[in-house]
Amino acid sequence: MLRSRPFILVLLALVLAGTWWRLQPEPGQLREVRLLLGTTIEIVAEHPDADRLEDAVAAAFDEIQRLEWLMDPQRPDSDVARLSATEKSLKVAPETARVVELGLDVARRSDGAFDLSLGRLKALWGLDGSTPQVPGAQEIAAALQGIGPEALQLEGLEILKSDPGLSIDLGGVAKGFAVDRAVAVLGEHGVTSAAVNAGGDMYLLGSRGKRPWRIGIQHPRKSGAVLTSVEASNLAVVTSGDYERFFEQDGRRYHHLFDPQSGYPADACQSVTVLADSVALADALATALFVLGPERGLELLSAYAGVEALIIAGDGRMHPSSGWKTFVPSDDSGS
Amino acid sequence: MTCSAADQAELARVRRNIFLALFAALAVALHTLEVLLPTPVPWFRLGLANVLTLVALFLYGGRAAWTVSLVRVGLGSLLLGRIFSPGFWLALAGVIVATGMMIAAWHWGRRWLGPVGVSMLGAAGHAVGQLTVAWALLVRHAGIWQIFPVFLLVAVITGILTGWVAAVLLEHLQQYEPFRKIEQET
Amino acid sequence: MTTGDCLLAVGLLSLALAGLVWCATGPVGERVVVSDGQKVLYTAPLDTFIEVDLEGPLGLTRLRIDEQGARIIGSPCPLKVCMGMGPARRDGDILACLPNQILVEVVGARAEDAPYDLLSR
Repeated sequence: MLRSRPFILVLLALVLAGTWWRLQPEPGQLREVRLLLGTTIEIVAEHPDADRLEDAVAAAFDEIQRLEWLMDPQRPDSDVARLSATEKSLKVAPETARVVELGLDVARRSDGAFDLSLGRLKALWGLDGSTPQVPGAQEIAAALQGIGPEALQLEGLEILKSDPGLSIDLGGVAKGFAVDRAVAVLGEHGVTSAAVNAGGDMYLLGSRGKRPWRIGIQHPRKSGAVLTSVEASNLAVVTSGDYERFFEQDGRRYHHLFDPQSGYPADACQSVTVLADSVALADALATALFVLGPERGLELLSAYAGVEALIIAGDGRMHPSSGWKTFVPSDDSGS
Repeated sequence: MTCSAADQAELARVRRNIFLALFAALAVALHTLEVLLPTPVPWFRLGLANVLTLVALFLYGGRAAWTVSLVRVGLGSLLLGRIFSPGFWLALAGVIVATGMMIAAWHWGRRWLGPVGVSMLGAAGHAVGQLTVAWALLVRHAGIWQIFPVFLLVAVITGILTGWVAAVLLEHLQQYEPFRKIEQET
Repeated sequence: MTTGDCLLAVGLLSLALAGLVWCATGPVGERVVVSDGQKVLYTAPLDTFIEVDLEGPLGLTRLRIDEQGARIIGSPCPLKVCMGMGPARRDGDILACLPNQILVEVVGARAEDAPYDLLSR
């Protein structure tokens, strides 16, 4: 037994050394996907300390979950559901007020191409439900009653409805805001490199290793193909496309991006990608530009400093904004 | 009453056969009992039946160990209605490698290893055999070997337990005349 | 227990523990991981060709793994968006059926030649 003891000790030491070597914190990276906000939320984050990284990502998801409770129209006690049900006015959470404020601002500046009060119209088309269908012209006209940038007024935390029947749809702005908040939470936890992707609405924090994040932009007509790519660092990238959600009836395709003026899917564009410093703004602008089309869209964009866009028109031609090319990596063969 | 030398040998042979049959029967019973017992994870078995294989090995040698283990798998599977199912081939492979390992360990390592050591090697062999067949027949993917360390860990622990039970049993059995005699002869 | 038994026990245990640590910390092969967004429901290697039924609140979603990758070939959800998501093969590829709360992810085997980190669509 005496002779064997050193041997056992050496063995144990070897095992310990091996364990220690394997557990050396590599530049810790964590990737987690959850189903929230009616889409897949993917967070990729880096931090040298694995435990802190895990806490940070969990806190970011918690924040998104909290905002979902506030702004998910499916939840009867959410601000959005109560706002749709209420007759005149409602006091909401500061976060909801912030989203409405941002949405109303884009709605006004885009002359109503972006609209927060399309709830009835979207429900009529049923693209989120099981039986989407083309509604009758009268139904559409009725659903458009009272909508527009002036349909909602924000006074502090109080939202006033001009028409009691209005149904509110914050759409992508709420999703974008949730991503912005999740990124802020990651930052508060000391994460300096992360990507938060909510079904294509994403924010890229810091860089990926030594280079910026590289984001491929979906080709609007070739599924799975990449049209071009951009390099992003501390940047929101949002694409709205007519290929995301649609149904076909009588040989025609009807997608989910509606023109508030006609009540029908907008047909000026195939897709719009917006680069901005906030995902909420980028999402609202992407929808607005999609409805406005390339010419009026780029005109609206010129009023926003530091925001760039790539508009793919209905005929498939690319219309990049003036500063777009600074984001395209030099080796990209696209655009 | 007097017994001739030939009678002595004959008596030992008959005894040996009767005890082997008893061991095999006990092994089948223990195996069946174990299958019926609830386990924390589906593949987890204590392997108590292996106690009888070990005892047979230490009392009567390698061939006896083969007899007990193979009869146990064959009859056990037949009783439980699992014969020739995928699970049967897994069990058979496990038992063949385990028994082979135990006999080898006993044959060459008797001077250093007791029943516990032999039992541990058998249990480890059991895990190797099962995984090899699972890999060859069921999932042709190298990823299956990732669970080998877990299997090995469980095998070592259950091996120590069953080996210890076998050691206690052997100690008791060898207090009795018939077993002592045979032990001396081999 | 003899000294040999002890030595053997220590040897085998260290081997098992070392293997455990190795497997727990080492890189994972290409795998398909199915979850409901919170907990893992099912996982399988990407190169074993199988079909499985995954249970969600609406019923069974059928997942097929073959040489093209993993894809959903049957679903109780109304829009069947998940079935149109095509095969997932690359690390990070995701198939999701939101109504039935099924999330299929491909993990491992990072493609070094991929021209982008994430896809905006």
